[in-house]
Amino acid sequence: MYDYIIIGAGIVGTNIARKLSQYNVSVLVLEKENDAANHQTTANSAIIHSGHDPKENTLKAKFCVEGNTLYEQMEKELQIPLLKTGAFVVAHNHDEELMLKDLYERAIRNGVTQIEFLNKEQASSLEPNLADSITQVLSLPSTKVTYPWEVAFACLENAIENGADFKKNSEVTSIKKNQDVFEIEINNNEIILAKSVISAAGIFSDQVAYLLEKNVPYQIFPRKGEYFVLDRKVKGLINHVLYPLPTKVGKGVLIIPQVHGNILLGPTSTLQDEKELASNTKVGLDQIKRDVKAIAKNIPFNLVIRTFAGIRASSSFEDFYIQESKEYTNFFHVAGIDSPGLTAAPAIAEYLVDHILNHQLIKKENYNPLRTKKPTFYNLDFEKQQELLKENPRYGNLVCKCEKITEAEIIDAINGPLGNDTIKGIKKRARAGSGLCQGGYCEEMILKIIARETNQSLDQINYYGLNTPILAKETKVKL
Amino acid sequence: MIKDLVIIGGGAAGLAAALSANDPKIDILVIERERELGGILNQCIHNGFGLHVFKEELTGPEYSARYMDEFMNLNIEFLLNTTVVDVKKNDDFELTVSSFDQGLFKIQSKAVILSTGCYERTRGSITLPGERPKGIMPAGSAQRYLNIDGYLVGKSVFILGSGDIGLIMARRMTLEGAKVLGVAEIMPYSNGLTRNIVQCLHDYDIPLYLSHTVTDIKGKDRLEQITIQEVDQNFNPIENTQKVFDVDTLLLSVGLIPDISLFDSLEFIKDPMTKSAIVNQYYETNVQGLFVCGNALHVHDLVDYVSIESEKAGKSAQNYILNLNSKTKSNNVHEIKYNEKIRYVVPQLIDFQSINAPIDFSFRVTKKMEKAIFTVIQNNQVIYTKKAKHLAPAEMEKITVKPEMLIDQSQISILLEEVLT
Repeated sequence: MYDYIIIGAGIVGTNIARKLSQYNVSVLVLEKENDAANHQTTANSAIIHSGHDPKENTLKAKFCVEGNTLYEQMEKELQIPLLKTGAFVVAHNHDEELMLKDLYERAIRNGVTQIEFLNKEQASSLEPNLADSITQVLSLPSTKVTYPWEVAFACLENAIENGADFKKNSEVTSIKKNQDVFEIEINNNEIILAKSVISAAGIFSDQVAYLLEKNVPYQIFPRKGEYFVLDRKVKGLINHVLYPLPTKVGKGVLIIPQVHGNILLGPTSTLQDEKELASNTKVGLDQIKRDVKAIAKNIPFNLVIRTFAGIRASSSFEDFYIQESKEYTNFFHVAGIDSPGLTAAPAIAEYLVDHILNHQLIKKENYNPLRTKKPTFYNLDFEKQQELLKENPRYGNLVCKCEKITEAEIIDAINGPLGNDTIKGIKKRARAGSGLCQGGYCEEMILKIIARETNQSLDQINYYGLNTPILAKETKVKL
Repeated sequence: MIKDLVIIGGGAAGLAAALSANDPKIDILVIERERELGGILNQCIHNGFGLHVFKEELTGPEYSARYMDEFMNLNIEFLLNTTVVDVKKNDDFELTVSSFDQGLFKIQSKAVILSTGCYERTRGSITLPGERPKGIMPAGSAQRYLNIDGYLVGKSVFILGSGDIGLIMARRMTLEGAKVLGVAEIMPYSNGLTRNIVQCLHDYDIPLYLSHTVTDIKGKDRLEQITIQEVDQNFNPIENTQKVFDVDTLLLSVGLIPDISLFDSLEFIKDPMTKSAIVNQYYETNVQGLFVCGNALHVHDLVDYVSIESEKAGKSAQNYILNLNSKTKSNNVHEIKYNEKIRYVVPQLIDFQSINAPIDFSFRVTKKMEKAIFTVIQNNQVIYTKKAKHLAPAEMEKITVKPEMLIDQSQISILLEEVLT
């Protein structure tokens, strides 16, 4: 029996797992997908917001500001990438400048300390491709961007190294409470017992809660956001996160420099019924093309390498819902975590464990908060590269030439503590296939490396989910 | 390691360039990232290669074998499984090169030929709407899985784009037992060679939907269904023209792009139409000693023309190295002008300093024309005309300007006019 079962291995579940793994308790993270970080965490803006935007006196405002600081600690402890871009919120006329002033005051009340107004000339000198129509910007130097997949993987890896368990392809199909013990059924066939359950099930939070509760105090409203990804050749074109003024439905369409040099354009914001339909639409993508013109010029749409869409788990509660069940002791909701969920996640984990669980937890003596990141070969200098090559000649075999990823890095991604044996799993860990040719060249090589390292045949290797093999069948004549 | 000439890429272009650059006084190295020479020809097991160069019809591997045999006889040095990861230029080129066997090391070279081929445009670059399941891939990747590795990527297939690889794969997958339900092309004409439309689609009753594109993709994890729609003149989908196909595979044959991004650091001047370097008739870029040929320069539809062009590039590199000391920078270089019926011309520049051989101009037209006439003009005089039939954007055209045609050293214009009958 586990002390805690966490349902969901997104950015929230993995942060909670890491936080709990500091203590002398047993923890199991359940994930219905074939990998961690596969819904909201896989498709978002990657921004660590400063906290200027959420409504005052909400958990969103509080945890956004706290989370922003906690990311600096995670950068040191987990070696996650963090690009300190700063951000500009832009205004185009007198009316918008008044709204910018309101936003400034809200930011101050939310506890954002680094903030200032810049006039057009000051802003343009720092960001030459700002749209000419902009008259003033609110500068937020504490805004950063990260690589959300790596953050979630790093948290979960660190939790695993501190004793937590992880089970993927494990969809929770029923939850019963029998006296003080929760019986969690996964995939309609296996029962796992736990003293406490934390639901961090993102877009499925309400469905998971209904497995136990009669009345779930919130409803999830899926809200889709679409994006363009520009190739990393655009590095330097835009150096700050650029926001338009926020509207009722969200922060608007942004321009977001990424840690590896790419730029994201998006998101749109469309409510929909389907929880998993993250499809791109012509309407949505056309809107992004239109909207970014108001914030920047010279955006090279010929360097688009990918489009994607993600679903945010907005809720009827509006703020984050982080509370114990009103019907069942020791069942905890961590729900409605839409933006700024990525930023807030480490603060949410602290708040939940320190203030909501209400359990006496004893720290582990041998807890290790540090994660040693595997080398990224082409980020190193020539001498260090030569040293690594002596240890492992597979660093000499360049597989993904667009992003310069070597065979050794791909093997690390397959065999790490949270290793994965799928094409997309490798992309999310080692970045192979993230570049200009989108795996057109290297996918076949990666497939063969996975097959060799995991003793599978080529046609057993999946794209991502279970039963998604890249290859359908052998040909009639096999050489 | 110090070399006179490094040829990056050992496919059709690199092999032809190496053969013609070969000289007892020149130390040549060919670098190939695959485990064997031959490049993309290795996976092109269909026939249709060699009609111009060898006057007979060969398969891709047969065609490359002819060059490889000659190459091996000359004992030109080559490295396999080796990738160039960085290029710098001072007086010489400094290449950083990596392989499993030899690790990471540097090579100095007086001249470099880029014969790195091209890569396939992806779903991302054409912004296809819909979900992102597995089962959508470039046709060339599927061709590699099929012809090199021996696996079909799917059993019910639709193909977007009528580029030659897509057409070839329509036939190839049909022969291997897959059901190919159709090919959609956004343009009102096919982007492949006519012979491929006939031999790969018509012969197998595979429908070609012109002025159609994919407007929706369904399937969370695995591709389940695609929707195609007719498009108007501005490529916008027309209402109520949807056709739905249940498929497990969508192959993309939507264009090829010269693969030269590893060399972006050299900042050579690019032609936005070819998406590669601007070169003179020696296939030399504005970076002295840097030559580009084959699909790395502009995408060809026939390998024969790749070989012919690359032989010239190889010869130019040979001359460059042998006459390095006497070489002075020419200040008599003119851009070729052309009219709107021509999409691009390669070479883009003529260096008048030393014209001693005929210049082959390769180009593509912007629209289908039954009959047309090319006119080459210099100093307000027509210096050459050529009639042409059945012009199409998919088929590369060539004209040759001989030194004796030139009046002086002023700019040359190439005009194409449609002849309406």
